[in-house]
Formats: sequence, C-alpha cells, structure tokens
Amino acid sequence: MAGSRRVYLDHSATTPADPRVVEAMIPFFSEKFGNASSVHFFGQEARSVVEKARREVASLIGARPNEVVFLSGGTEANNLAIRGVAEDLQTHGRHIITSQIEHSSVRGVCDQLEARGWQITRLPVYENGIVRLEDVRSALRPDTVLITVMLANNEIGTIQPVREIGELVREIRSAGQRHLRFHTDAVQAIGRIGVDVETLGCDLLSISAHKLYAPKGIGALFVRRGVRVTPQNVGGHQERERRAGTEAVPGIVAFGEAARLARLELDERSAHVSKLRDEFEAGVRSRVNDIVFNGDMSKRLPHLSNISFRFIEGEGLLINLDMQGVAVSTGSACSSGSLEPSPVIRAIGRNDELARGSIRFSFGKDNSAEDVAHVLEVLPRAVENLRRLSPLFQQSVSDRAKSPEEIFVAS
Amino acid sequence: MPYSEEFKDHVANPRNVGNFDDANRFGEETNPACGDTLKLFLKVSEGMINRAGFLAYGCPATIACGSAITELITNQTIEDALAIDRQMISAKVGGLPSRKNHAAALAIETLHHALTRADLSIRLAVEAKQLSR
Repeated sequence: MAGSRRVYLDHSATTPADPRVVEAMIPFFSEKFGNASSVHFFGQEARSVVEKARREVASLIGARPNEVVFLSGGTEANNLAIRGVAEDLQTHGRHIITSQIEHSSVRGVCDQLEARGWQITRLPVYENGIVRLEDVRSALRPDTVLITVMLANNEIGTIQPVREIGELVREIRSAGQRHLRFHTDAVQAIGRIGVDVETLGCDLLSISAHKLYAPKGIGALFVRRGVRVTPQNVGGHQERERRAGTEAVPGIVAFGEAARLARLELDERSAHVSKLRDEFEAGVRSRVNDIVFNGDMSKRLPHLSNISFRFIEGEGLLINLDMQGVAVSTGSACSSGSLEPSPVIRAIGRNDELARGSIRFSFGKDNSAEDVAHVLEVLPRAVENLRRLSPLFQQSVSDRAKSPEEIFVAS
Repeated sequence: MPYSEEFKDHVANPRNVGNFDDANRFGEETNPACGDTLKLFLKVSEGMINRAGFLAYGCPATIACGSAITELITNQTIEDALAIDRQMISAKVGGLPSRKNHAAALAIETLHHALTRADLSIRLAVEAKQLSR
C-alpha cells in the first residue's frame, strides 16, 4: 500500500504559497480592504501597498515600476501582450514570428490571430529544444510587427536565445523597422534563473505569481516605456488604462512579497533545486533502462527534468506514482484530453511512443534529499509495473532475447 | 471526472497479467485513433473460459479495462462472456469518464477477436447478434 509520504514534483504546474507571502497578504482581505482607486484613507492604504508591490516586481526583472501591469496571470499577460501589440500595430503589418514550443496560451492567441487574417511563422526547434537565431533572422519580413519566443520552455525547461533575439530586434529596429516588438513569456523562468529586461532586450515579458510561491490569480506583464498595447479589458482607468478592473490587492501584495523573496533567495533556490534535480537524474539513469532525456541538458532551467520512458504511457505512470505519493505531470495525450501527445516533445523529433511516455519532474525550494530518495525508490517499480504488461516491452524483450530481469538493472 | 479508486487500483495492480502456458485463444486489437493496443490470452475448454491474461499499451483506461475484462470472463461460459458490454466493464472499474468509453469498447473487441477467430460458429453468432442490433 502507498505510504503516507507525499512528494510534490510538479512545481512547473504551480508552487505552494510561501507562508511569509500568505502572512503578508492576510491583512488585505478584511482589515485593509480598500479599493486602490478610492481617494479616502482606505483606498490610499491599498494604493500604497499596490505601488510597493509594483516596485518589488519591477526590481525582480530590472524594470521601472510604471512598466509593470498587474493582471490575472500568465495567460492574460500573454493575451494582452500578443493581441494587444498585434491590434495596435495592424496598420504597420500583420506578421508574427513565434516558436513551435510556446505555452498553449501563446499558441492559442497566435492561432486566433491567424484565423483573423494575421500571418504566423512558427519557428522549429531542433533535438535540443532550442530555437535558432538564424531562423528568427530569416523569418523576419518588412511587415513583421511581433516576435514572441518564450524565455524557457514549460515542459522541457530549455532556455531560448532571448538575449540574442533581443539584440537582433534592436539591430533591425535601428535599421528602420521601428514597429517591430519583442515579447517573451517568462512564466517558467522567473524565480528560477535571473531575468533582467535590459539584458534580454524584450519589449514585453509575461510573469505569473503562482510559479513564484504566491497564490493563483495574479500575474504581471512588463510593457517597456513607449510600447503600446491595445487594452483587452476596457471600462476602467486602472493600470494606466492598460488593464481595466479593480486591482486584486491581496494577490498583488502577495506577488510583491514573493518577488522580493525570489530576488533575495534566487541563488540559494537555484543551487538547491539543481542539486536535487542532478541527483535525481543520476539515480534514474542507474536504476531504469530504456529512457531518453528530453531537451538540452545544459541550457535548461535548474529545477526541471523531462524523461521519456520507453514502452509505456505517461498517464499510467503518473497514476502509479500518485498512488505512491509522488506528484508529476506528463506529456501524454490522455492527460490533456486530446489525441495528440505533447507538441513540445514531438517538436524535438521524438516519436509518438516517446512523446506519450514523457514525464516532467519539477523540483521546488521545499523539496529535500529525502524526497529524491523516495522517488528513486518508487519510480523504478512503477516503470517495471507498467512495462511488465506492455506488449511493446515484451516485444523488445524477445527481440533482444533477454529476460526481463536483465533489462532492469537492479538498484 | 476524476478516476475512481477501483480504476486506479486496476492500473497500479493489474490482474492476470501476461500470457500463460496452456492458453489456446489469442486476440489483439489496436485503437487506430490513439494507438492503444490490447492483447488477450485465454484458456477455453468445453465452452468455458478457464483462465484469462492480458497485455496492454496505452492510456490508463486501456489498462484498467484490460484488467477488468480478464476478471469478468474468468470461469464464465463463452456465451456469457460475449454478452459483456461497456457498462459492465465501466462498472467493474468504478466508472469510466465518457471520453474513455472507447477503452471498454477496445476490451470487448479484443475479447470477441480472441473468442471468434478460432471458432466459426461463434463468429457467426456474434455477427448475427450485431446485425440484429
């Protein structure tokens, strides 16, 4: 039977709110409940903490406070950035460059704009899961108004050449194409690697607070001074007319505190999760055969490992692990409710079997070495459990004329 | 709809896994839409299924339904086994999400394949039954 230990290895899906963050936000539900747009004491009390949080978020990414727009999260940030720029610049051009491995919220907006008459170039990635700068350069057209390429991928963690694309964009703009904008979805990268909008050279950058040990329902879009976006929420003056709606003060306070802690603790957290991740990967390598690591092994986020387990399907493995107290996620189609397995794993050239058998393990600041040991104990058994009943595995065993005992390396 | 405890138990502790020495019937079906594959091995004698085993590759529902059907048909007459429908398999795994009903259908097709391909009279009976629906 499953033990009582629960190990959460799905920090790329969401993180628990840090107790310090929760403590910071609590007064702003009942005691200090004002509307930040009100002129009276209650409103001004809320206004001052919203602006303090804005400074913290700006500081985390090296931006100016008035370049930070608070909104509901990463998906809204991507919608506002991409559709907002596309609508604002449509008289200058209707061509957008993106990649094949963007988050579904970026893909969704691009698909929607394509249906409305925009032209979209979706850059390939190669086996390492990284976009090539020369592909960006050759995709550029006189009517290109936006490049949107993520800072780091949500499934395989690969870090994209955003700084290089930023340099290219500056070069193209100074050569006369003034209306070219550059957006990056930094939802997965923030709090895990250093993010600085000056170094990256982006005009817009999306952040979600719940990947940063703050609650769900809050996020931000960095909009560089001088860059306009057509608001997608209208009917209020909030956020300098860029996002109408009463500010979610408790969430914003939490986001500010989480951003402050992330800035102070970034190096420590990154070192901690990368140590756990590396120990985990070494352990899996020595205990389980027939696995494939997905994505570039060095240019990737420190907390994430994506592994395809041959002969089996990811959701079955996910359920087996869940019953042993280990929470992960999978690129298999079953989980998403579609028939097609992960487009990201397919984009790096893996076949359907490997895409269906991919599992994402994502570590967080509160994971421990004991957590890694627990996973390394239950994972080989779970894989073996499923392979034992897999006709693909049985076939491979007979092909190799080996017994199952020889296929599994005893731990 | 979340998976039931029975469902998860079939996935984590599948019953009757694999082939066995005196199996005398074999069926295999693949879902062309998603590539899920189910194999059934049966020992049939005197109109009874004495033993059943399965192998499965695919989503958890395919595994759970494969495991469930081996339990449902063991020590059943061929006639009763052929009467098993999707609802019975779904009930055996504590309910299936509607988008996973195809997994129960795959289990039934595989069983029919195993039972009918070696025995023309059964195949004709199944076809007659399908025609009468």
